[in-house]
Amino acid sequence: MLPALVRKTWRDDRRTVIGWAAGVAVFTTVYSGFYASFQGVADVKQDALPQNVLDFLGVADLISPAGYLQASVFSLLGPLLLLMCAVTLTARTIAVPEEAGAMELLMAVPLSRTTFAGQRLAAAGTVITLVAALPWAVLLIVIPIVGMDIPLSHVSAACAGLIALVWCFTGIAFLTGAATGRRGTVLAVTGAIAVATYMAHALSDVVDGVHWVRWLSPFHYFIGTDPLHTGWHPAELSVLVAVGAVTAAAGVLLFDRRDVGV
Amino acid sequence: MTDDFAIRTEGLTKFYGDRRGIEGLDLEVRAGEVMGFLGPNGAGKTTSIRLLLDFLRPTRGHATVLGLDPRRDRASLHRRIGYLPGELAFPGRGRADDLLRFFADARGGVAWTHVTELAARLDVDLSRPVHAMSKGNKQKVGLVQAFMHRPALLILDEPTSGLDPLMQQEFLAMVRDARTDGQTVFMSSHVLAEVQHTADRVAIVRDGRLAAVERVESLGRRAVRTVEIHFADPVAPDEFAVLPGVSDVVVSGPVLTCTVDGRLDPLIKVAARHEVVDLLSAEPDLEETFLSYYYHSEGAGDAARTGA
Repeated sequence: MLPALVRKTWRDDRRTVIGWAAGVAVFTTVYSGFYASFQGVADVKQDALPQNVLDFLGVADLISPAGYLQASVFSLLGPLLLLMCAVTLTARTIAVPEEAGAMELLMAVPLSRTTFAGQRLAAAGTVITLVAALPWAVLLIVIPIVGMDIPLSHVSAACAGLIALVWCFTGIAFLTGAATGRRGTVLAVTGAIAVATYMAHALSDVVDGVHWVRWLSPFHYFIGTDPLHTGWHPAELSVLVAVGAVTAAAGVLLFDRRDVGV
Repeated sequence: MTDDFAIRTEGLTKFYGDRRGIEGLDLEVRAGEVMGFLGPNGAGKTTSIRLLLDFLRPTRGHATVLGLDPRRDRASLHRRIGYLPGELAFPGRGRADDLLRFFADARGGVAWTHVTELAARLDVDLSRPVHAMSKGNKQKVGLVQAFMHRPALLILDEPTSGLDPLMQQEFLAMVRDARTDGQTVFMSSHVLAEVQHTADRVAIVRDGRLAAVERVESLGRRAVRTVEIHFADPVAPDEFAVLPGVSDVVVSGPVLTCTVDGRLDPLIKVAARHEVVDLLSAEPDLEETFLSYYYHSEGAGDAARTGA
């Protein structure tokens, strides 16, 4: 049987998780399903926008299935929703109960600090991954139904990138929460990093001379490789997973070293 | 050697930046005894307890709990400790029995009949959600949680706070039963009367330092109380001021107030020469007199007494 703390974490998170899962599933279904009706007016819209604005919005073109999916699901709203979900749930592993004063009872369970932090992260990480995998599941169903002409392996590559991106930021959020125990700090730090690196990724295509900045952005490793047109890029995805793993491990170590609930 | 002591600290010190939590705490709690841990709010009781439970890491010094290291042996230690935090906040929004089942599972299984027994004893309905409970009922759930796995050591931070007098008595009975079963109890309080009837010994902390460790029997004798006597006619202060153990004599007309250290007998004998209308004797108040007595006797000077 799964550890009691893992089950407890899921139980306490279940309402939040159901809410986010429903939101992400509906969002993906509606946007991808809308492709059929959208196709006709896309030409007009695309003409109305200058190319550098499209670049900044992370949109290559709006007419092809890949361009449409990139613009609707993968460029901004999809990652935004999933990152918000991931940061919310990750903040609940340590920072939220610590601020609420509930950590003393939660940590009355007979576990070492590292095991405690590890189990909290594993529990949250599992549901975050499941929510982040929802666009994948939805698109594999919707794309054949709507009849989008795009290789499913390309879609899968982009969806896997979405999960890797979420893992990367989950690690950062966990590190912040485990080190500080403050919910506000988790939201502020992770949010600031997400916004800054998103802009760095977007601007590096638009502004001359800052092309290199993209290498600092998790969004470059997620979508900068254009997986919807070019398919799998395991090296880039590994970078995201590695950042997530290293930050998460650092979080566990720091939590083992500090005072809790001061 | 360590097996004789449930808790042993050597020079345990915790500073929060410049602010002192506890300093140089040398404390020994024998296995099987009930020890009261007394001191006014902010004296360092909760800090000490959190150090024992590995929530805080000492700035200096060392603690051994049940012969184990609080940090290194955290997992095995917490299986054998029942802990009631001073400020209770429950994780999650579930029913009380769901929460207790979580603790039972996490601790490797607990006889559920014992849980329902404790709940019945404290008169708390476990089918209600914890977050909707009154402070008193939350405290009861916290107590059930601490006692449910029959731990070798109970560490209870202000266990009676929020309980009505009847439940306080029931709780104290639970502590006595725990001692009978060979469990060690280390409980903090800022009310002397509360630990007086259950504890074998008390440790008194004051301003982040251990002021004294005493057997409870010796406390009653040392207890300082204020006495107020209303006479039918005005009395002279001199008559009372000379009595052994009597001090701070103030007479205003027929009303005498004074502080009595130790036996009341000499004062009563003298008072009986007059016609007594009323006599009030306040319970020894830890915060104001008892602690200042110890602080005073430790050589901290009169400033400490007035600052009490």
